[in-house]
Amino acid sequence: MNFYGLMILTAIEVGAVGVDLSAFAESIGATEKQLTFGILWGIGIPKFIMIAAIFMHLYGDADSKILTMTALFPAFFIIVMIFFIGLTSPGAPTDLPAWCRPPSWL
Amino acid sequence: MSGDHGHEHHIEPWGPHDWSHGAPHNSFAPLVMSIGFGVFLYAFANIFVMGGLENISSMAGVMLGFIIITIGLIIWWRQDMSFDGVYEPQGVGAPFRNIDLRKVAMWIFLMSEMMVFTSLFSTYIRYRLGIPNCEDVFLSGEWVEGTTVNCFEPAAHLIASSWFHLAPGAVNTFALIVSSFTIVLALKTAKMSNKKYAKKYDIETANVDAHRSRKVGIYLGSTLFLATLFLTLKLIEWFVGFPTPGPLTDLNHGHSEIKSLFAEGYTIHANAYTNYHYDTSYHGGHDIPTDSALYAMLESGAHPGGMMMADIRVSASTFYVTTGTHGVHVFAGMVGLSYMTFKALRGGYGPSNAVSIEYFGLYWHFVDLVWVLVFPFFYLY
Repeated sequence: MNFYGLMILTAIEVGAVGVDLSAFAESIGATEKQLTFGILWGIGIPKFIMIAAIFMHLYGDADSKILTMTALFPAFFIIVMIFFIGLTSPGAPTDLPAWCRPPSWL
Repeated sequence: MSGDHGHEHHIEPWGPHDWSHGAPHNSFAPLVMSIGFGVFLYAFANIFVMGGLENISSMAGVMLGFIIITIGLIIWWRQDMSFDGVYEPQGVGAPFRNIDLRKVAMWIFLMSEMMVFTSLFSTYIRYRLGIPNCEDVFLSGEWVEGTTVNCFEPAAHLIASSWFHLAPGAVNTFALIVSSFTIVLALKTAKMSNKKYAKKYDIETANVDAHRSRKVGIYLGSTLFLATLFLTLKLIEWFVGFPTPGPLTDLNHGHSEIKSLFAEGYTIHANAYTNYHYDTSYHGGHDIPTDSALYAMLESGAHPGGMMMADIRVSASTFYVTTGTHGVHVFAGMVGLSYMTFKALRGGYGPSNAVSIEYFGLYWHFVDLVWVLVFPFFYLY
């Protein structure tokens, strides 16, 4: 069941990129790129969960809970990397507010 | 952390693999392989500097590294070949009490892998958001033909431009999902009790082992085939391209081939990348959005038009390094699968040690999991 679900979601994912969605995107007040991005995230997250929970046994087994905690341990570092490095702009080191730049606390 | 049931360990020439006497999985082979990887990486880094062939003599170091890795692998596999699952060390302390130590170790290894891929994704997000997109730069009109502009060109711009370009990546996605399923089938088949197995396939209990070995071998072999297909298609996509003969030519806008990313000029050295998408004469002015600054500039004669030249080294590097790192993981899986298929066909897996397939499966599903993120955000968007 999980396998078929993954196959269907992947087919939708590929279709969402190959098919022209510009008219639909316009009708909901978005650009085609924004719509595609939303669809890809919307499909990527359940796919990720389906593989981790079912195929990797992070759901339903006696040791699932502790192993899920183990798997989530790097989440803190991941959040730091994505939000504080990945999402900053190239100007981040110089564009930071004055209160968190060296002169104010040195 | 682990109990050894008070058994005496019998050291043998290939290492302590006397499983029936309770020897734990303390193989020295990974240390040998680590040394091999160290030698390989050190020598490999010395061969090329900034894309140029710097020191060919380091090839000897590369080969030495490979040899050491291979020796480590042979020792490891020789030790594992006799493992029948009689002794599976388990954690005795919190928080992993009564959980197989190999399983815990695999998860800790996967944690470190998550960090590796997170740093690659983080780099990608950082550059993609921080460097102006090439299409935006083109449409802004802030470029002059003959002068390079620095911009981010996502590989998806090329790959998702047609169904043909998308085909290798899409087939690969399905191949990885199917391979995850074949691993699950291999585990299920190996795990089934003899009685249940005999009943399911309507065979004599005495024939179960041979039947099971063949079946598990086929499932693992299928996974190996799909992994090979994955890397082959990746090489086609990167370096070879493929023809679109006959009626496919019409579907491919009159072109008889799909060029590889390399042939399209999408390389880590591309500091003067050109593409017909960024050529005003190709568009003839018609496909350029009328609300764009470039359109207005062309109309008013403020922009002479021409072909935009871009420095896309950062975008190409993030693409190749991330998808390449994933490809290396697929290759590592292929090496492991080769051994496991061999062991399975020799009757190596049964209900008592099927967890070995499960633990390899964790790694393989993780490789699939990473692709679930790589594919949409590097190939489609």
